[in-house]
Amino acid sequence: MRPAARLSDQNAAVLALRDELDRLDALIRNRTIRNRAAVDLCQNDPGRMRAARRLNGATGVLAASVLLDSAVEHYRGSFANPAMILPLIVSSMTIGVSAHGFIDKRPGAHRIRGLTYGAAMVTGLFGAGFHVYNLLKRPGALSLQNLFYGAPLGAPMALLLAGLLGSAAERTRNDPAIRGRIGRRIGRRIGMGRLVGLVSGLGLLGTSAEAGLLHFRGAFHNPAMFAPVTIPPVGGALLLNSLRGRGGWMSRLWLRLTAALGLAGIGFHAWGVHRNMGGWRNWRQNLLNGPPVPAPPSFLGLSLAGIAALDLLDLRCDE
Amino acid sequence: MSERYPGYDVLAKRTGPSWNAQTRRVVDQRLAVPREPRFLSASEFETLDAIASRVTPQPAGRPPIPVAALIDDRLLRGRQDGFRGAAMPREAEAWPRGLRAIDAEARAQYGLAFHTLSGERQDAILRRVAAGDAHHQAWRGMPPATFFTQRLLSDIVQAYWSHPTAWSEIGWGGPASPRGYVRMGYDRRDPWEAAEARADNGVQARRDNRRVR
Repeated sequence: MRPAARLSDQNAAVLALRDELDRLDALIRNRTIRNRAAVDLCQNDPGRMRAARRLNGATGVLAASVLLDSAVEHYRGSFANPAMILPLIVSSMTIGVSAHGFIDKRPGAHRIRGLTYGAAMVTGLFGAGFHVYNLLKRPGALSLQNLFYGAPLGAPMALLLAGLLGSAAERTRNDPAIRGRIGRRIGRRIGMGRLVGLVSGLGLLGTSAEAGLLHFRGAFHNPAMFAPVTIPPVGGALLLNSLRGRGGWMSRLWLRLTAALGLAGIGFHAWGVHRNMGGWRNWRQNLLNGPPVPAPPSFLGLSLAGIAALDLLDLRCDE
Repeated sequence: MSERYPGYDVLAKRTGPSWNAQTRRVVDQRLAVPREPRFLSASEFETLDAIASRVTPQPAGRPPIPVAALIDDRLLRGRQDGFRGAAMPREAEAWPRGLRAIDAEARAQYGLAFHTLSGERQDAILRRVAAGDAHHQAWRGMPPATFFTQRLLSDIVQAYWSHPTAWSEIGWGGPASPRGYVRMGYDRRDPWEAAEARADNGVQARRDNRRVR
């Protein structure tokens, strides 16, 4: 009896183990299927597509600011270095592909768009390097005088930001199941919404710092000059804060306010041009000498990107 | 116009975007100043003309800048600096008296009118005036050295350099009204600034200067 009983005990144990394994297998399979369903759900989520296209649009606005600002400033610099033509070409291309991406409702990334955004990132990075070099070779190197009147350090970063946001737009509309480059991995790990929020939030803080420096140069002679050093940093900080949880209505509100400020800034700077001798009739002088008219819309582009990030966070399947 | 800024003529900016109506009006007025005296007497004017050509000698080969006429015009229109040395009379009084006194010094020393003297003799008298070593009664209490530095030198130099011909010679762009300058860095040039000719770019500088507007 004893050996037979032992055998049946063993059989029972094996059976129990098999059942357990089957259960686990079913569980894993089920979860995978549910995950795939979630991915498909996100992929087909019209909200995700809308956010991606908005991101393309925001990138286009930012690139337009870069194009016009660098065109004016590099014309002033008489294109002393042939490389000074590069940001004009690259930002023009970025505007083109961003408009394409904004209109394009097909899911999936686009090769030319992706390449152009990559070129924008590289140009922005190299531009920042050139600007640092320009600053350091001036007599006095890192003095306030050179920070005020030398090549602006923050300006090329706007092109880098445009490239990053555009790439994020492409990755957002891309099939997340495809494994690949680093950016996508990071995007998969922390979520595209968070990634875009991080980039645009930090971008807002940096742009605000540059506006602060140049408005300090202008001695804040108009009280409105305090607006871009108060509203966008709050928007940026709130955006960064909402990355920890879900997109809050407060950050949405402040980002909309920042976007409005970016538009209003065009008007304020146009007013500043008018205040110079000869006003707009003397535009040849005053567009160069007065406040840069195309600079404030960079706030518009960045806050639109921030809003797109909040949209992505709200989708919830973006994990 | 000059070797250093070949082909540069500041008056080319007259109808360009650099100057506005007010700037054109002021410069036109300067260019239209009559060459004969209207405020000073003929002999005072001759003396002033002779002094001016010692203080700001002019190159041959171009129409001279009418320094004496510019000062005469200024006196006629009653333009003043708005300040003067305590011992000095107003411009309209100081100039005729100083000119008469300098002429009187010349007649006392050489028996000739100031403007007929040789350059060296004119300089000798001007040096005495500058040093305050002039005691003719024609000064009537006005300190000669103060007249020399505060009136004579400054007014002549200002009149000379107020003329577009002098601006073209030194490559100055004229009044920045309304268009000023936007390329402020070292060795940077706005397209409406005079281009300086160096050993290697004379032709390019001439071409650039022809485009100045």
